[in-house]
Amino acid sequence: MKKQKKSQIQIGETIAVLFVFFILVTIGFIFYAKVIKGNIELEKDELSQLRSVGVAQRVMFMPEVQCSEDNVIIDNCIDILKLEAAKSLISEKELYYYDLLEFSDIKILQIYPEEAEWEIYSRKIDNFRNKFLTNVPISLYNPATRKHSFGVLAIETLSR
Amino acid sequence: MSLRMNKKAFEIQFNWIFVLVAGAAIILLFTSIVIKQKNIAETSTKSTVLKSVDAIITGASVSTDTTNIITIPNSNIEVSCNRISISGISRQYEHLILYAPSLMKGDKLITQTLTFSVPYRATNLLLVTSPQLRYIIVGSNNLAKEINKSMPAELKKEFYQNTPQIRNSNNYKVRLVLIEDMIDFPESLEKMPDNDVSAIKINGDKEKGAIEFWQKNGNSWQHKGTSSYIGKPSLIAAVYTDNIESYECNMQNTFTRLNLVTRIFVERTKKLMEKELVSIKEIRCKELYTNALFYFNKILTASLNFNDENVNKISDSAKSLASNNKDAQLNSCTLLY
Repeated sequence: MKKQKKSQIQIGETIAVLFVFFILVTIGFIFYAKVIKGNIELEKDELSQLRSVGVAQRVMFMPEVQCSEDNVIIDNCIDILKLEAAKSLISEKELYYYDLLEFSDIKILQIYPEEAEWEIYSRKIDNFRNKFLTNVPISLYNPATRKHSFGVLAIETLSR
Repeated sequence: MSLRMNKKAFEIQFNWIFVLVAGAAIILLFTSIVIKQKNIAETSTKSTVLKSVDAIITGASVSTDTTNIITIPNSNIEVSCNRISISGISRQYEHLILYAPSLMKGDKLITQTLTFSVPYRATNLLLVTSPQLRYIIVGSNNLAKEINKSMPAELKKEFYQNTPQIRNSNNYKVRLVLIEDMIDFPESLEKMPDNDVSAIKINGDKEKGAIEFWQKNGNSWQHKGTSSYIGKPSLIAAVYTDNIESYECNMQNTFTRLNLVTRIFVERTKKLMEKELVSIKEIRCKELYTNALFYFNKILTASLNFNDENVNKISDSAKSLASNNKDAQLNSCTLLY
């Protein structure tokens, strides 16, 4: 009877040790999962920011809106006559431009000498998690009048 | 006595069985974690490569006439029409302009971006290849020299003016670029798989021409088809792409982009024509714009489909537009592009 009790206690002890061991392993896993989750969130944010910068770069270098002089590209310059044509073209071919501009809202705002606004692309998602706004100062050139004005290219990118 | 011994033996055995079961469960748990972690790491590597390729594509659209060497995790990248795959993970694109061999091996990629202008910039052509791929250029005319000069020095390329004695240097793919005449199939490459040896024969000049696509078939060449090129960038693009289907798909995507950009130029020129005519200079400018609009519209129609006839039409219109643009400059008019 006494021996049986001793062995029962021994098995009980082993089970208790195993139980504690598994609890420690579980705690370790929970901690590890939390750290990994945090890293994934960070990476996701970084990726969203990169995507936002990528979209901004692509818009700035689109031959559909960019200024050129004898096929020489003028940096940070948007051709107003091209812009007006691009506005309707992009909305007509929205699916084609989605590959380049993804889920974003792209506006060009003229600030000086007069105020004006052109929305060239808008494709939004309802339940977005991240929203990044990139503002790029640009020069707006009107080839008909040969006058430059000052503006801002506002790119808002959304991601889940 | 015997009963007590039996009981003790049973207790000891039970303890061992218990330890064995518990130990097996622990080992199983950790093994499954290691396997899962390994799978995650592999998937993560593949997605890193895909992200790198994506970044290259973005970079290509914003930089012109540049060459880069990019280090990536060692992988096999498969490229087909509008699709990039890395060991099962793929990314589909709507209209991808990426001229590359069907398979790129290794931990390095060589990228080159060239501007596709006819004569205004329509898009950038992104050319990607592996430094492990061997290019053999054979030709003695200016075009052969031009092709050799346009390809990055970092590539494994060889340039011969006359038909060379080709040796097998254990490259996973060999691409021959023949300018004047087709050569006999090199004996040293006979043991290579059929898909890994290909050739193009160019009939044309720097502006336009035809490209014949050939592939190894046993110990001879098999004709795969003939396509066209317009301008040096698309000719270099054909050197990088090892099959006619992929080249034509990319050219069609390039033409689609050209069509969209041309629509913008048509509208822009129409707006330039709306300006009130006050001086003789403005009347002359309007004449030039009317003339240019005709050529823009010709390119607009011809860029709907990539074929030999349309390539000729675009090439002719591009020359006329370039001359119109020069005239616009001489007459102090707003330039066409």
